[in-house]
Amino acid sequence: MSDVLLPTLAVLGTLLAGAALVAVLDQAAAGVIAGGPFRGRLSAPLARAALLWLRPDATTEHPDALLWRLAPAAYLALAALGLAVVPWSAEFVPVRLPTGVVLWGAVEALATVVIFLQGWAPNAPLPLLGAYRHAAAGLSYILVSMFVLIAAALPAESLAFDAVVASQEDLWNVVRQPLGLPLFLVVGLGIGVWGPLRFADAADLAGGTTAETSGPRRLAWALARGAMLVAFSAVAASAFLGGWLGPWLPGPVWLLLKMLLLLALLVLLGRLLARIAPGRFVGLAWLVLLPLSFADLLWAGVLALYGGTP
Amino acid sequence: MNWLRALAATGPVPVYAAVGPGMTDEVRRLALDPVVELVATPRHASVLLVAGAVPPSADAALRRVHAQLPWPCATLWYRSRPFPELDYPQVIEAPEMLAGALQELHRAVLRGPRGREPVLLPDVPPAPFEGRGDYGQGGEGMMGGTPYGRPMAMTTDDLRDGLALDKLELSLGPFFRGLPSGLVLGLSLQGDVVQRCSVEAPPYPEPPAPPFLQALERPMPIAALELARARHHLGRLAEALDLAGLGAPGRRLLRSAGGLAPGRRLRWLGPLVLGSGLLGCVGTGHGRLTRDQAVGAGGPAARAAGQAMDARTEDPGYRQLGFEPVVQRGGDTRARWRQWLDEIDQSLRLAARAVDTDAHTASSGAVEGPCGRLTRDGNPPDLCPVLESILPGCEWGEALAVIASLPLAGTMMPFPAVTA
Repeated sequence: MSDVLLPTLAVLGTLLAGAALVAVLDQAAAGVIAGGPFRGRLSAPLARAALLWLRPDATTEHPDALLWRLAPAAYLALAALGLAVVPWSAEFVPVRLPTGVVLWGAVEALATVVIFLQGWAPNAPLPLLGAYRHAAAGLSYILVSMFVLIAAALPAESLAFDAVVASQEDLWNVVRQPLGLPLFLVVGLGIGVWGPLRFADAADLAGGTTAETSGPRRLAWALARGAMLVAFSAVAASAFLGGWLGPWLPGPVWLLLKMLLLLALLVLLGRLLARIAPGRFVGLAWLVLLPLSFADLLWAGVLALYGGTP
Repeated sequence: MNWLRALAATGPVPVYAAVGPGMTDEVRRLALDPVVELVATPRHASVLLVAGAVPPSADAALRRVHAQLPWPCATLWYRSRPFPELDYPQVIEAPEMLAGALQELHRAVLRGPRGREPVLLPDVPPAPFEGRGDYGQGGEGMMGGTPYGRPMAMTTDDLRDGLALDKLELSLGPFFRGLPSGLVLGLSLQGDVVQRCSVEAPPYPEPPAPPFLQALERPMPIAALELARARHHLGRLAEALDLAGLGAPGRRLLRSAGGLAPGRRLRWLGPLVLGSGLLGCVGTGHGRLTRDQAVGAGGPAARAAGQAMDARTEDPGYRQLGFEPVVQRGGDTRARWRQWLDEIDQSLRLAARAVDTDAHTASSGAVEGPCGRLTRDGNPPDLCPVLESILPGCEWGEALAVIASLPLAGTMMPFPAVTA
């Protein structure tokens, strides 16, 4: 029983608590940047969640009601799948999958589909435009992700995240492959619909994929998006920051601290960097980021062959 | 009220603002109030704020906005005339009561006993089903047509690469938050690229700040004029940041605008705005005005295109302060943003010097307003027709950035405009 219950609780608890933490961090960052009174800002996300829970679900003319309900659930489920393959210590991995890196790649691709469906379902122009924009940019960052993750897996000679973490015992990948983490952060901004890559639910589309969504459905989408950022931070911490490895403290604490660091970084990037024009991002991704990810993979390959690692 | 409702009531009030003529600045200031959150769509609001006297031509649009708020909800009429169908409309006139009234209405909505505001639109399609074409919707095959008055997507060649994708026809405004209030655009989009744009209604007039109007009548302290100019530019930059997803830095600019004083500098402004990558929101050359258009627009838009047109050069008071217009070269949206940044810095320096020397304008009947030359005779030309030629080819976010960077009629004085 505990083989199922403990991993399930660990994954769902981390996602929900992490999503709440993202909201609080985001409010705190907004308050510091905007200035003005700070009182009540940290409790504002909780008040907003209560309000959304109480507000009614809006509807539109002939929406795809099933997809509209399924999209947040699927987004949350994808976040849970991603987090499930991340090791918390040498012993505790919720789902020990030999192809965890491949599974995360599938999560990224399916997240793009789910975000598109969230925009498609209301049958309204602004959500649809948000969906189009995200789908157009999705392929660009997913390809980058594939190369940097393969590079991270190369020293481990394995696609399992526990082996990827173990391979960083002497040197974390963030040092060994300095291009990897910055490139992977771009992926996190994409699948989390966050900051410079917030194409789908952007302010210029009056909320885009969420422009017609209100009430509990909007709360569920916000929760799922926060959860996806949490899952991403766990994967990034494991692939580049040594995951649960670290002195003195227990492995799970190290993992949580590294996740917190990455979440804080994502929140700051989201609050300080403007949304790039989608067309310009696609150009940037194909002409700059993708070649850089090739270079990252090449560097990892050269190190694996001649660098004496692992 | 149970604990969940009590908890919900402690947060800011989600307000959708339908902004009428002359109300942009007041609503903008509301964004700084911690008890209010101005939301981007009626779906996210519990209170609709109707600010200012909305003209009868926008009555139907206002009713559509009203119908989109999820019930239960409430409407606050601030210096505006409520719909006659409403039994007990909440009307206020005093600006200092605005935030409190919004909060009280929100709490009343959460308590629940308010009577439902009547639905003001009939729940029927705006037009009959066409009954023509292969599937009856009036298009070709399963695409196109306007069944029930709603345009369906139809494939046409894209402007940029000729790839035939779905063309989407829609009309936005006059209360769409990303556009100046009053402006209604008819649009054809492929994906989010603008293929065609037509101005169906111009923005509502917004008078310049009082110091500029007073300067048309009598000598005014130059410091007051320059601080008002810096406030205006900060407000416009805040709008641009907000559209780019940077609401928090935008609010910082608005807060700074409210606290400007002679001798104060905003050294963090350039690094914050340029470091945010705001310029990356719009491609180089987008929104570029031709020389004639720039000259017609005047003000910062002309100076951003290299035209050193500035009524301040004719004023002895400014000449004593050593005033020289700052100019850019590009003439596009990026250049206009840089121009605002440079002019904010210049205005703050001028204000500091003007206080030291107690410099005043010479009343000449022409004043350099925040958007261009102001005279007693009328406005600078209306730039709205320019949108129809410069927006096609822009992505949607770029198009809104272009609009937010231009001195459209919505930022001008309430005088009759002349066509460019």
